[in-house]
Amino acid sequence: MTDKVLIVDDEEDFLNIISDRLTARDMNVTTASSAKVAIKKIDEESFDAVVLDLMMPEMDGLETLKVMKERNPDLQVILLTGHATVEKGIEAMKLGAMDLIEKPADLATIVERIKRAKAEKIILVEKKSEERIRDILTRKGW
Amino acid sequence: MMPHRIDPLGEAGLQFYSKVSASISHEIKNTLAVLNESAGFLEDVTLMARKGMNVDMERLHSLAGSMLKQVQRADTIVKNMNRLAHSLDESWTQVDVNSLLELMKNLSERTTVTRGFNVTVAVSDMPVIIATNPFFLENMIWLLLDFAMTVTGDAKTIEMQTVKADPGARIVFSGLDRLTENKFNDFQTERVRLMLAMLNSTLQTDKNNGMITLNLPGNTESPAQ
Repeated sequence: MTDKVLIVDDEEDFLNIISDRLTARDMNVTTASSAKVAIKKIDEESFDAVVLDLMMPEMDGLETLKVMKERNPDLQVILLTGHATVEKGIEAMKLGAMDLIEKPADLATIVERIKRAKAEKIILVEKKSEERIRDILTRKGW
Repeated sequence: MMPHRIDPLGEAGLQFYSKVSASISHEIKNTLAVLNESAGFLEDVTLMARKGMNVDMERLHSLAGSMLKQVQRADTIVKNMNRLAHSLDESWTQVDVNSLLELMKNLSERTTVTRGFNVTVAVSDMPVIIATNPFFLENMIWLLLDFAMTVTGDAKTIEMQTVKADPGARIVFSGLDRLTENKFNDFQTERVRLMLAMLNSTLQTDKNNGMITLNLPGNTESPAQ
């Protein structure tokens, strides 16, 4: 099964190239050049991982992360940044980011993080299914 | 022991310089990220070609254009940074206000765009030459722009305009629809007052029309001399 990833960055050239490279690695890539578009996409579709730029016009990465996590707490978000400060990193982790990668990043690192995000998501989905089944069994008294 | 007092002007100057440096380093990182991915893409294409797969020549051509664009972008960023660094070379010298305003628009672009503002510059065809401290004039424009973003109307557009005066020059900030006396008073901190004194300049407001004017003197001597 291919990994489904959403890349969010206001740098169109970056989006185009990384999209091509990840697609060549059998990933199903969707791109968004603004936070607004990205939020709309996560409302419409399910993604294994979201790779999100920290600094964007209008709504920055941390604000976007907050909104995304409010809408979908299980969403696996990897932040990408041109200048990671320790404070920003801590804030991002507190808001539920899975990881923070500094630009320019090695593609192998990004791919590895996306795969890890997908694994995390599968664990979360399985855990939820298990809880649901246990809940049904308890309520029905089988 | 007497508590150590930080020089407000020195502190303001350093804060300005470090904010611009942080913004510039972010921009350069972005260009490097694109170039890094482009190099990786070329590596991918080379590997595919070695395996006998077809190479999309058009895609390669567009990639070369994109790389060239990023190199030019980084070059402009570094040139602007270099100009800012050299504005500390002389504490009182002749500058073209038009060119300085353009520089400040470019240096502050990442900050203003990230906050959702559109800043335009209107300059006259002829150079507007004054004698000033270039670094602190840049710092003053930065502070005024930062303040302007807190009092702008819904359009979130700020215009900076140079006007030649006789003698000297004026820089007019307009689009400040929410400018009030209280907000303007809050802006005039010790550092702003000291900076205005060192530039031998004054600020003037027109709240009805949402404007602040920075009046720059035409004298050729530093007020400190």
